[in-house]
Amino acid sequence: MIIAAWICLVAPLAAALLITLLGTGISRRAAAYVATSSVLGSFAAALVVLAKLWGESPEQRSHPSTVWEWLTAGTFHVGLRILVDPLSVFMMLVVSGVGFLIVAYSIGYMDGDDEERRYFAYMALFVFSMLALVQAGNYVILLVGWGLVGLSSYLLIGFWHERPAAIAAAKKAFVMNALGDATMALAFFVLIQHRHSLNFPDAFSIGPGHGWLVNLVALGLLGGAVAKSAQLPLQTWLPDAMEGPTPVSALIHAATMVTAGVYLIVRTHAVFEHAPRVQELAAGLGAGTLLMAGLIALVQTDIKRVIAYSTMSQIGYMFLGAGLGAYANAEFHLLTHAFFKALLFLAAGLVIHALAGEQDIRRMGGVGRLMPMTRITFLIGSLALVGIPPFAGFFSKDSIIASSLGRGWYGDLLFTAVLAGTFLTGLYAFRLFFIVFPGEPSPFVREHLMRGSHAHGQEGAHGEDGASQTHGHDVHEHAGEGPFSMTAPVLVLAVLSVIGGWLQFAPLWHPVSNWLEPVARPLAEPTNTQEAVASLLAFLLGLAGIAVATLMYGTHRLAVPRWAFGQRVLEHKFYFDELYDVVFFRPAVGLARLFLRGFEEPFVRGSVGGVAESFRDLGLLTRRLQTGLVRTYALAIAASLAVLTIVFVAVR
Amino acid sequence: MSGPAVSWYLAVAAFLFATGALGVLLRRSPLIILLSLEIMLNGANLALIAFSRHYGESSGQIFALAVMAVAASEVVVGLGLIVAIARRRIDLDVDKLSTLRG
Repeated sequence: MIIAAWICLVAPLAAALLITLLGTGISRRAAAYVATSSVLGSFAAALVVLAKLWGESPEQRSHPSTVWEWLTAGTFHVGLRILVDPLSVFMMLVVSGVGFLIVAYSIGYMDGDDEERRYFAYMALFVFSMLALVQAGNYVILLVGWGLVGLSSYLLIGFWHERPAAIAAAKKAFVMNALGDATMALAFFVLIQHRHSLNFPDAFSIGPGHGWLVNLVALGLLGGAVAKSAQLPLQTWLPDAMEGPTPVSALIHAATMVTAGVYLIVRTHAVFEHAPRVQELAAGLGAGTLLMAGLIALVQTDIKRVIAYSTMSQIGYMFLGAGLGAYANAEFHLLTHAFFKALLFLAAGLVIHALAGEQDIRRMGGVGRLMPMTRITFLIGSLALVGIPPFAGFFSKDSIIASSLGRGWYGDLLFTAVLAGTFLTGLYAFRLFFIVFPGEPSPFVREHLMRGSHAHGQEGAHGEDGASQTHGHDVHEHAGEGPFSMTAPVLVLAVLSVIGGWLQFAPLWHPVSNWLEPVARPLAEPTNTQEAVASLLAFLLGLAGIAVATLMYGTHRLAVPRWAFGQRVLEHKFYFDELYDVVFFRPAVGLARLFLRGFEEPFVRGSVGGVAESFRDLGLLTRRLQTGLVRTYALAIAASLAVLTIVFVAVR
Repeated sequence: MSGPAVSWYLAVAAFLFATGALGVLLRRSPLIILLSLEIMLNGANLALIAFSRHYGESSGQIFALAVMAVAASEVVVGLGLIVAIARRRIDLDVDKLSTLRG
């Protein structure tokens, strides 16, 4: 079983190395297949681990494995150590399973891109990093995985490196994540000092005696989680990260990496439980983020950014659940969210792909007539996102909402925020759906979809000729939704978005909670009444959101209420970028200028440069002596000889 | 050992050297300057040999031989330069030859 876990971890790394080392020695298609099959191999290995673990009694399902003592300092040891337990297997399955579907989708999506091999090497590297993160058996390996996913995220956001916006977005993501990495590292230092161990079971046992200490550690961990999961106040990098290719957005910035923060909180829940204020802070940040992101999503015009804000908002739900101690529910929502959000991104990718890279929804409209499968799958994804039964989101989200009940005034506040968030979810999800899919195709869409071959834009283009000939006005003949490698993962994810939620229905059966219970025992289980109330309210509010969206963007097209101030605030994303610009960037630049003028120029240039300049002046002075007149030189020599002789004689 | 005392030889050597030095300092033609240099060198050689005789040591004579070898090669280089300058029809005047740039 341990062997299988190691295979699961190493297979994508091997693929990444293979593709990189072979370089142009393998064809682009072969590189794609190597990456895809390695991730499939990981998934198979994860399944083996799951099967083996299933057969054991719940108390014994924890298997650390160290292959190498990597670092030894006195009594402090760090090994290359993985931990196989229900939580890590759960995450391994999500990462490798959804990862496989998305990497397979990329085969069609990235076909024809100039640097396909590099893309697949990065993708494999990312899957490896993410698996290292979730399989880590101590904090150091966790931090290694944490840093590596940040790196692969950086590389993939900036994959189209000739676009300045992509490079800027990549840098932004990397810097913001580095901030979180730093706070995490600081928390680890505190742990090393006081626990002398970073191995998972030992490091958790911080006694309640160390009040401020445990709060400090929990805050550091929360900082890392917030940065990685794009929660308040470090959320601004995620929408910009949509500059990367769409499958990257689906895999890294929706399904896996951004949920690592939730995983971290669940994994280190023992620390957080000793610091209940910090845990409540996590829940509060989640609630704040889900409201804020839901509001901003209402005014976005880029199809991927709407989904990105929706991702941020859904992770807010998970943070809320993890912060309230409903760990299994948070993880379950992570699972279903991976399904339906990957589905939404990949379906959006189909649209973007067919429209030659266009992402602005104002130019779309009526796409559904020409892409019926995409329309249905996108609708399924949206319904799952809003939480309409029997789609996946209903089962996972409502348990989280229910867990905020019965927690005093703070819980009630969160409950209200979450319900408002549900309404917003329905509104923005179906605003997007109604603008893009139903109705008559817009001129732009007509131009791209009703011609036989698609214009080949930069967002990748697929070489599917012949399948989509022009057939006069019979638009239904059009089959240009993408090659099989793209449509198949979308269909699989659509099925999973429908049935994925049935895995756990809180009042009746809860295998996910049972499975995760040995690792993370929930702090409180909502009662069936609470579940029912939460479900009903969330369902009704979600429906209300959909209804409002239908009225405003669907059939009726009622006037959208305009409130100039509010709209401006939302379009500027609550001025977070501007705020950070004023608070951090400008002071830093100002300080640098100050140092340049006050220190660098007078002192550094004054000393170093002054010395150099004085020698130069001396040279200019002595240059005049060199006249080129040989007789002058001879006279000088003779005269100095005479002087020397006189001096010599006189001294004698 | 007979003949004049060593001071006579030194006086002749000093005279030769001074004549040469004046020639170097006062004349403008590189050819004459070269000849004057040779006179200076010969003055120095005479002094070396005179001292060699005076002290009964051979090192002064060996120095004189070395100086002759150097003088010969110097004349080769110097005359070569002078011929090269003359062939380019440049005035043979050391005061005008003050830059290396052609």
